Amino acid sequence: MSIQRSRLSTDTWAIVLSLALALIVRIGLLKTVAW
Amino acid sequence: MSTAAPLPDLRTEYPPHAPGADPKEPSTLLGLLPGIALLAVVGYAGKFVEHFINTYGKAHHLVLPNIEYVLWAILFGVLIANTIGLPRIFRAGVATYEFWLKAGIILLGARFILGDILKLGGISLILVFIAFAFSLTFMTWLGRIFHLGPQLTTLLAVGSSVCGVSAIIATQGAIDADEEDSSTAIAAILALGAISLFTFPLIGHLLHMSDHAYGLWAGLAVDNTAEATAAGALYSDAAGKFAVLAKTCRNALIGFVVLGYAIQWARKGLASRTATSQLDNKATFLWKKFPKFVLGFLFISLLATLGSSPNPTLAALGFNKAQLLTLGNLSRWAFLLTFAGVGLRTNLKDLFKQGARPFIVGAVGEVAIAAITLLLVLGADHFYHL
Repeated sequence: MSIQRSRLSTDTWAIVLSLALALIVRIGLLKTVAW
Repeated sequence: MSTAAPLPDLRTEYPPHAPGADPKEPSTLLGLLPGIALLAVVGYAGKFVEHFINTYGKAHHLVLPNIEYVLWAILFGVLIANTIGLPRIFRAGVATYEFWLKAGIILLGARFILGDILKLGGISLILVFIAFAFSLTFMTWLGRIFHLGPQLTTLLAVGSSVCGVSAIIATQGAIDADEEDSSTAIAAILALGAISLFTFPLIGHLLHMSDHAYGLWAGLAVDNTAEATAAGALYSDAAGKFAVLAKTCRNALIGFVVLGYAIQWARKGLASRTATSQLDNKATFLWKKFPKFVLGFLFISLLATLGSSPNPTLAALGFNKAQLLTLGNLSRWAFLLTFAGVGLRTNLKDLFKQGARPFIVGAVGEVAIAAITLLLVLGADHFYHL
């Protein structure tokens, strides 16, 4: 059960971080990231 | 079922616990930083070596093999983890590589429009079903031939046909397999995943496969998401992208497979009361097992699709080209941390501790699955021009 909970938590945090980054890019706070 | 000596916990896919660390040990953000910094250093070292070799070759007019940073990052990680070892201070942070993998996949949604996902995802799903039916039947048969217990055989079959470690852990609870069977199956799947990193790109190049076809094959045949992503990226950036898409389709099926096994074991009266009671609400069961990050991937892809819409109102809701490029690059950086983590969590001693029989069953099964999926992908490529 603890494993399932941490899996869900990892998914949730990954979604939160990605959407936050997407929002930052969308509103123009982050314009370019080099690769 | 006892086939091998007790194993250390290898489930490093699940933060916060790291190889050898106590899973119950709490991690703070500050405690994660050294390990995350190490992931960045190892990953960037891989990128630096790739760039250095390319620049050196061009400057001296030498034809040097173009080895992707992915391989360097994994090799540096394996080297560190298996020589000097991973000091305790880095372990919790290194175990976050699964988190970076998922964040990378979600952001990768920016590089797909929904039409591509529907087309390739549809083909992937059909191939997944065929490969899945074959692998379950074949692995179950192999397990019987090698006299492995039904739980271990089931875990190996699920691990090799659906999605590696995540599927094994999800199925473990449903069929009441013990920790030892679970650790053995995980070790076999991780060992085979490590081998596939080196064999798949070689086979792909030998067969002159297209990026689409190779990526689809890696996504369908390599078990763990991190290794499937790495195996794809080792071939090319585009192949990595398609490997992730195919693998995500496989991951999305995990709930159905676990549910199927749970029902089968409950009907046979082999499941415990706790496992059987989980089946009372099948929709909740499926939702619990569904990898939620797939929804994030689809959402970002939806915004990417809207951005390319001819309708100005819809296009204003989505991302423009420059923004998509930025998000794509952020995804690449997240994968760079993941690949470093794949190397750093690979403990060569542990991988081969699980005993010969489960490894042989896993290896024979994997080779057969890889061959069947290769034929399926080549067939699909021929008819649908992937």
